[in-house]
Amino acid sequence: MCNITKEQVYEAISTVIDPEVGFNLVEMGLIYDAIIEESCNIRVVMTLSTRGCPLHQMITQWVREAVERLEGVGVVEVDVVWEPAWNISMADDNVKAALGGGTAMW
Amino acid sequence: MFSISKEYAPPFEMITPFFKIGVLFYLAGVIFLLFLDPGSSYSDMNIIGWTHWFLLGFIMMIIFGAMAQLVPVVVEVGHFSVDLYLVIWPLLMAGTIIMSTGFIFLPAVLPYGGLLVLTAMIIFLYDTSMTLRRVEHISLTVKTVAVANLFLLSGIVTGFVMSLAIGEGIGVDVNKWLGVHAVLVLGGYVTLTIMGLSLILLPMFGLSHGFDETPINRAFKLMIAGVLGYFFSSLFGISWGNILFLLVMFASVSFYLQQIIIIYKTRARKENDIWAKSMFFGYGSLFFALILGILWLFIDAQKLLLGSAWFLIMGFFTFLINGHLYKIIPFLVWFKRYSPLVGKERVPMLHEMYPKREAEYEFIFSAAGVTIAGMGILFGSATLFKAGVSFLIIGAGFMFYSVAWMINYGKNKE
Repeated sequence: MCNITKEQVYEAISTVIDPEVGFNLVEMGLIYDAIIEESCNIRVVMTLSTRGCPLHQMITQWVREAVERLEGVGVVEVDVVWEPAWNISMADDNVKAALGGGTAMW
Repeated sequence: MFSISKEYAPPFEMITPFFKIGVLFYLAGVIFLLFLDPGSSYSDMNIIGWTHWFLLGFIMMIIFGAMAQLVPVVVEVGHFSVDLYLVIWPLLMAGTIIMSTGFIFLPAVLPYGGLLVLTAMIIFLYDTSMTLRRVEHISLTVKTVAVANLFLLSGIVTGFVMSLAIGEGIGVDVNKWLGVHAVLVLGGYVTLTIMGLSLILLPMFGLSHGFDETPINRAFKLMIAGVLGYFFSSLFGISWGNILFLLVMFASVSFYLQQIIIIYKTRARKENDIWAKSMFFGYGSLFFALILGILWLFIDAQKLLLGSAWFLIMGFFTFLINGHLYKIIPFLVWFKRYSPLVGKERVPMLHEMYPKREAEYEFIFSAAGVTIAGMGILFGSATLFKAGVSFLIIGAGFMFYSVAWMINYGKNKE
């Protein structure tokens, strides 16, 4: 039986910050799920804010390393998916407010 | 999904010369403007010499440096041989200096400069075409990159033949082919490439999603049709065809501007940083250049053509390039010096890695300079033109300082 909770996984991933926007991946709404098996193997399902992100591979590596720092964790896998596509409505309110909010126009 | 890893990303040392040299050409280019007469004909050798200095030494140099980084992002495969970029910038730099000298002072050296530039571009095209052959998912952007590269090849071969005509006196009608050369390079390569790249970069930096891409698809197709039509009209001497296909290219730019408005309307990120301000001014200039270009088709006034070219090159191309340098250089520096430190110590955010005050000054002086000098061209006032150029020189000085500041950021981390 694994004692690691989804909240702990999200908290670990929240240490990973996107250097372009300055927010962590969890508050950006980029982490879709964290599936924890009984053996404590963990699969993180996430997306990126853009398909052409030049940091794609590094960000997934940082997420893996952040989760691997949890005590008792097994094998960590990170799956990047494009469906559903990310949009700003998935981000926390503080992110929306800081970026300028919703889809209003200038 | 392909992504850039350290294995695929071009080394920092390989790319920074493109930006350093490009900005030096920019600074020198705006200083040289002081010695130009804004009332000259577009076929004046001083104007042509300056245009090649600026377009090859600054615009193409920066585009090539940026493409070394962006080609893998856009087409989702690694470079065929990124090491080729090591020889591109020295050839392009030497060729540009010799060509500009040839146009202004010594026509006999023109073919030698042209040959160096031709070699640099063929190496660039070789790497890009071999890279494109590895692409599995052929998107419209990939097709556009391929076509743009074919136009570049045709444009530089045309240019090289003209350099032989001017330098060696071979029998080619330079005036006839000057328009074709300009349309192939500026419309067929630079504008198409900027259209393709901006479709990737503007949504990435503005966090725009789920927008309609119909206008950009029309813009791509119309620009390709316009450039091809202009080429064949010139080849067969159909003058009304030239006008028709210039209008097709103008229609393409109109659809492109429509696409930009759509992307900006859907952007989630609304801070008006130096990048966003540069984009506003750049696209405003493109709109103004478009209006002047359409007017020139109906009122054959030299000032309108030069004014349109001024706002296209100095307002649109320059501001799009300079604005993106505030994004691309900090990213490259961050990737090299700070990405290995993530999770180990506090690393800076990208917006902390450019000098905000100097960047602001660069924008204000450059925007004022482009506007005032542009009015000087349109009203036929050399005094107004030189006043604007003075502002541009100060802006270029701040740009040069900002690029050096960004490149040296965190140097102690090496």
